[in-house]
Amino acid sequence: MCVGISAKVVGIKDGTALVDANGARRTVSAYLLDELEPGDFVMIHAGSAIAKITDEDESETDALLEDL
Amino acid sequence: MNGIEKARGILENYDGPDCRIMEVCGTHTHEIFRQGIRRILSPKIHLISGPGCPVCVTPVSFIDEAIYLALEKDCTICTFGDLVRVPGSELSLQTARGRGARVRIVYSPQDAQVYAKNHPDEQVVFLSIGFETTTPSCCIAVRNAAADHTGNFMILTANKTMPAAYDAMKDSTDLFLYPGHVHAITGTKVCEDLVGQGVSGVCAGFTGRELLTALAVAVSEYQKGKPFFRNCYPRVVRPEGSPAAQAMVAEMMEPCDAQWRGIGTLPDSGMRLRPAYADFDARIRCDIPPIEGHANPGCRCGDVLRGEITPHDCPLFGKVCTPEQPVGACMVSSEGACSAWYLYGEETGGISHE
Amino acid sequence: MNDTVTMAHGAGGKQTSELIQKVFRAHFENPYFTADDASVLPAPKGRIAMTTDGFIVSPQFFPGGNIGKLSICGTVNDLSCMGAKPLYMTCAFVIEEGFEMAKLEEIAAAMEKTANEVGVRLVAGDTKVAGKGQCGGVFITTTGIGEIQEGIETSGKLARPGDAVIVTGDVGRHGCAILLARDEYGIDADVTSDCAPLWKPVEAALNAVPDIHVIRDATRGGVGTVLYEIAAESGVGVCLDQSKIPVDDKVRGVTGMLGLEPLYLACEGRLVMICPQEKADRLVEVLRGQKYTENAVIIGTITKEHAGRVIMTTEIGTQTLLPEPGNELLPRIC
Repeated sequence: MCVGISAKVVGIKDGTALVDANGARRTVSAYLLDELEPGDFVMIHAGSAIAKITDEDESETDALLEDL
Repeated sequence: MNGIEKARGILENYDGPDCRIMEVCGTHTHEIFRQGIRRILSPKIHLISGPGCPVCVTPVSFIDEAIYLALEKDCTICTFGDLVRVPGSELSLQTARGRGARVRIVYSPQDAQVYAKNHPDEQVVFLSIGFETTTPSCCIAVRNAAADHTGNFMILTANKTMPAAYDAMKDSTDLFLYPGHVHAITGTKVCEDLVGQGVSGVCAGFTGRELLTALAVAVSEYQKGKPFFRNCYPRVVRPEGSPAAQAMVAEMMEPCDAQWRGIGTLPDSGMRLRPAYADFDARIRCDIPPIEGHANPGCRCGDVLRGEITPHDCPLFGKVCTPEQPVGACMVSSEGACSAWYLYGEETGGISHE
Repeated sequence: MNDTVTMAHGAGGKQTSELIQKVFRAHFENPYFTADDASVLPAPKGRIAMTTDGFIVSPQFFPGGNIGKLSICGTVNDLSCMGAKPLYMTCAFVIEEGFEMAKLEEIAAAMEKTANEVGVRLVAGDTKVAGKGQCGGVFITTTGIGEIQEGIETSGKLARPGDAVIVTGDVGRHGCAILLARDEYGIDADVTSDCAPLWKPVEAALNAVPDIHVIRDATRGGVGTVLYEIAAESGVGVCLDQSKIPVDDKVRGVTGMLGLEPLYLACEGRLVMICPQEKADRLVEVLRGQKYTENAVIIGTITKEHAGRVIMTTEIGTQTLLPEPGNELLPRIC
C-alpha cells in the first residue's frame, strides 16, 4: 500500500529535510522524526520521512535466515 | 546470493501443512509478482491478495464526492496519481477532466497545500486516502495550512486503519504478511496482540530479498504449529513505531466508521478530522450531500479482496474489465490484485505453462 | 522584425517571407532548400525509406535539447532503423501567436546543427501561426526520406529465436528529463535527455554486421513498449536479464520516488537492436566505439517460447512477465 524509497538526509531546515535517493533530491517533511541529522538514512513515503533506517537490507535478512 | 538461495530453498521445498498467506499490502502483491515469487513457491503455500490497497478499498461514493466537488463546486482536486482512473458511479476523475474538472496530480499532500497557498483564487481539495503510513502526511498538510492560514485548502478524508481489516480477514488466512510501512508508523503491538487471538504473521519489507526472507521465516514458524509474530523488517519497523506520528494523528483526527469497497462498513476503521479542524474538512465546508455510489453489480472485487475467489473467477476479469477499461478498483490500481494478475499474465496461467 | 510571432507572420505576405528569410533560410540554407512550391531532388539509386513524425513536447526546452533537435532526431532515427541513410527532410511548424522570436531562432539553430551532424538536408518547410491558446508554443512535424543501404533488411518482423537483444545505452532518460523539467513533483536531479541523432552509429553497425534483424528506436513507451511490439510482430518471446538493463542511478532515484518503471519511460537516443547471437559481441564492440552508443549492452535473447511476451529474469533468480505497457504513466503512492 505504500511505495517507499530509502534516501540519505543531506540537509535539515525548519522541520523539513532535503533527502537524496541515488542523486534524486527532494524536500520532505521531517516532522515525524526527532533528531534527524545529515548522513542519516530515512524511508520516504508521500513527502514525509516516516522512519529512520539502516540503509542496507542484506545483513538483516541474512541474520533472520540464520536461525532457520 | 547465499541468503536468497537459502530462503528460496525453504519456499520451494516446504512440505508442512498447507499454508495460506495473505499479503495485506498492495505493494507486496505487486512486488511478489514483479519478482516472480509465486512461481517458485511449494504447492502447499497459497498467497492471497488481501485488502491493503487504499485505492482498491476506496468506495465508489468517494470518487463521486470528489467529482461533485470538481464539477458542482468548481474546486481544484489534488490527488495521488493512483486515484484518477478509478471509476465512480458514472465518471472517473480522468473522464471528469474532459468535462472541465480541474484535477492535479501531486506527489504529496503537502504539495497540494503549497499549491493552494500559491493559488488563493481556487478552492483546493486534496483527496486524503491511505492507511496509517499516509495519514500523517495528510495531517501535516492540514497543519501547514493552519499555520500558513491557507483558507482555500481542504481535504476529503477516506483514510483507513488496518486493525479492523485484520480482524475482518483473519478467518480467510492462516497468517498475515503484514505491511512494513504501516507498522513503521503504528509499531508492532497490534501484531503481538493478534498472536493472543491465535492470529500469526510476519512484518515484511519490499525488496525481493526481504520478501523471500519474510515468507521463508513465516512458513518455517507456521510449521511449528503455534501462533507467532516475527518482525522481518526491523531496519524500518520498531516495536513502538513512530510515537510522533501517532500523537499528531490522534490530536487531529478521530476514528469513524468507514466503508471498504467490497468488504462493507467496518466500525472505527476510518479516520476523519476532529471538529477543531472542521475548516479544512471538505465535506463540512462544501456541504456535500449524501451520495450513494453504484458499483457495477457484476464486479466481484469484494470477493477478491476477501480472498474468497481469485481474480479469474470473476466473470468480468480480462473480458470487460482490463487495466485500460477497469470496472472494479482492484483492476484500476496497479497494486490491485486483479491488475497484478492481469498484467503478470496469470489470466493465461502465467509464463510457466506455455 | 518583431520580438514575438504574430498572426501576420502566418498570413502569407511580407512578414511571412521575412520570417522564412531571417529564421528558417538563415539556418536551413542549402542548394535544395526551395522558394518554389516543391523541391526538385536527385533520386537515390536504390530503395528509399520515408517517414513522418509530429512533435509537441512540453516544455520545449529541456536539459539535453529542445523541440527542434528532437524533431530532427526523431525522423533521422526512424529512417536509421530501416537502414536508410537520411537524405532529405521537410519541416512544418505550427507556432502559437506570441511565441518569442529568439526562442524560435534557437529551435531553428538546433535543427540546423543536428541536421548537419547527420548530413541530412532540409529541403522544404511550412509555417502556420495559430491563435493564442490554440497550440502550446510550437508544434513541429518533420518528414524524411532516406536511402536504404544495399543488402540491408531490418524489420520488427525479423526477430528469430536465439537472437541477441541489445540496447544502445541507459533507458528512460528522456522521459525522466522531461518529467523533471515540468517540475510538477518538486524533485531535483541532474538528468539530461538522451536525445541524439543515431545515423552514424547505425551506419557503423550495419557495415560491421549487415544482418542485423531488427533496429527500433525506443521513443514513446520506452524500451518495454518496443520489445512488446517486436515480440508481437515477429511472433517470438523476449527474455531479458533484469540485472543487465542499464538505468542511470539518478533516473532510478526519480522513478523510485514516483513509483514508475524506467523501461516504460521514453528515450530519444536509444535503439533496440536484435541480431544473430554469434554476431552480438562484435556488434556491441562496434557500437561502443561510436558516439551516442558507448554503453551498448546485451540485455537478453529472443525465444520461441512465450510468443508475444517479454519475460524477465529477476534479481532473485526467478522469472516474471514484464507487464505490457498501456496506460498513461502516473506517479503512485501505493
